[in-house]
Amino acid sequence: MFRIMTLKGSSDEMSELETAQPAESGLASDEGSSAINVHSFIAWEAIALWTFILLAWQVASFFIDQEANPLLPAPSAVGQALLDSLPELWKGTVSSFYILLPGYALAVIGGTALGLLAGVLPGLGRAFFPFARVVSPIPPTVYIPYAIAVLPTFRMSAVFVVFIGAFWPIFHNAAIGAQSIEAHYRDNARVLGFTRMESLVRVVFPGSLPHIFAGMGVGLGFSFILLTVAELFGANAGLGRFIQYYADFADYPRMVAGIIYTGAVTWLSMTLLDRLRHRALFWLR
Amino acid sequence: MNAATRRAEIGGLRIDNVSFAYKNEPVLRRVALDVPEGQFLSLLGPSGSGKSTLLRLIAGLEKPTRGRIAWKGAEIAGPGIDRAVVFQNYSLFPWFTAQGNVALAVAKAHPDFSRPQRLQLARDYLSRVGLDDAAEKYPFQLSGGMQQRAAIARALALEAPVLLMDEPFGALDPVNRGKLQDLLIDAWKSSSPRRTIIFVTHDIDEAIYLGDRVALLGASQGGRLLAEIDVPLHRPRQRADFFASTEFRELRENIAERLDEDIISSLATI
Repeated sequence: MFRIMTLKGSSDEMSELETAQPAESGLASDEGSSAINVHSFIAWEAIALWTFILLAWQVASFFIDQEANPLLPAPSAVGQALLDSLPELWKGTVSSFYILLPGYALAVIGGTALGLLAGVLPGLGRAFFPFARVVSPIPPTVYIPYAIAVLPTFRMSAVFVVFIGAFWPIFHNAAIGAQSIEAHYRDNARVLGFTRMESLVRVVFPGSLPHIFAGMGVGLGFSFILLTVAELFGANAGLGRFIQYYADFADYPRMVAGIIYTGAVTWLSMTLLDRLRHRALFWLR
Repeated sequence: MNAATRRAEIGGLRIDNVSFAYKNEPVLRRVALDVPEGQFLSLLGPSGSGKSTLLRLIAGLEKPTRGRIAWKGAEIAGPGIDRAVVFQNYSLFPWFTAQGNVALAVAKAHPDFSRPQRLQLARDYLSRVGLDDAAEKYPFQLSGGMQQRAAIARALALEAPVLLMDEPFGALDPVNRGKLQDLLIDAWKSSSPRRTIIFVTHDIDEAIYLGDRVALLGASQGGRLLAEIDVPLHRPRQRADFFASTEFRELRENIAERLDEDIISSLATI
């Protein structure tokens, strides 16, 4: 926790908390934490909350005239809009993922590689950490207009912004992971005569995976935020674009359907990442 | 005969007036000890006597503040694959199977081996410690005793002439501890040429039962060598007879007395 504080600027406290917690709970008991996640979805309290929200929404819509394009459309209208828009939403998803996946993948590869190296090589660490301290707290959304102006296509600028958003949390966590590798792993690597490269690939990288996955989780969250915000600016397709488009036409059932759909896609992506984490960290028992 | 040639003749492990301080606190003071090749030396002492530190110095994981340590006349400057190490816990990498862990050492001992050859030899080493069926298992699927067996297999697989062991059985129950002690002796005796083993323990019985010689470290005045005691009982040692013998009991008495004296004098300095 302290190392995280020193590495990160104080202005993004939110991401600090998010960064630190998955790592620690992951280290404590991986099995337990994911069991709780699944459980909390089927617990009666969770079902009660979902039912309450849906009911409240349904009841609220009784008091709003549904004839003249209401700002709060009834659940049934939104459901219908969602069904009608599914093909369009699917196209939007594909278009969005063409931006999200390259940006996020680049961030995972680059952030992990640079983070681990900066954590392992003191010279590189001394060069990078002060830089990261200044640059990483800049909210990546502020790059969007500039990226669109500088880079030749909208897709390239959106990929770049998604990359920046996901890169720093992954970089920070990989560096912390590499630095906090338990001493006995290092000792074992040394007495087995590992070269620096062998040690990096076989010990530092797997040993840092709990931290790297924590960073990937935060990074994926940022990626979705930046993706949709970037699409509001200048896309001609995509999830963020879909919502902006129907908001401009005051088609609120479709807009709300788009929000719900985007939420579902984000949640699904997070769940997939969590599955992957669980598989990769099978040895944390 | 000058000093250099004498050293070369001595061979084995030479610990030459080694001192070690951690953050200006003395941990070891002027320890001088020679271990001939092929000897099983028990390094016995209470906690705070610096016995694990001495082992780490021999492993090359730390550097002496003063003095030098040499193996066959060559000064130890860092870790090397001529010295295998087994730690009390955490020797294995949890993300590799038992076989994968052992194969890491095989790859160092036989860099020319193909992957199937490495895995096969790793399996052989595992079966030598009775882990035939656990090759594909990950450390978290193994009991503490099985993990230490795998760690020993990995250390043997390095095929190093020196084997350094830091309280390897310290966390095991008495039954497992006894089994692994005998397994270690068997592995040591069946290899030729015999390995030089430095075995750190705080258990007097274990030190005597395993060792050709016991080096006694004391905690008073910051880690120093109290005595070197030969174990006159010859091998093979039968566990029950061994612990019932008069020689063993006298030896045990003698060592316990010296350790008590050290504890008393260390209390006096406070």
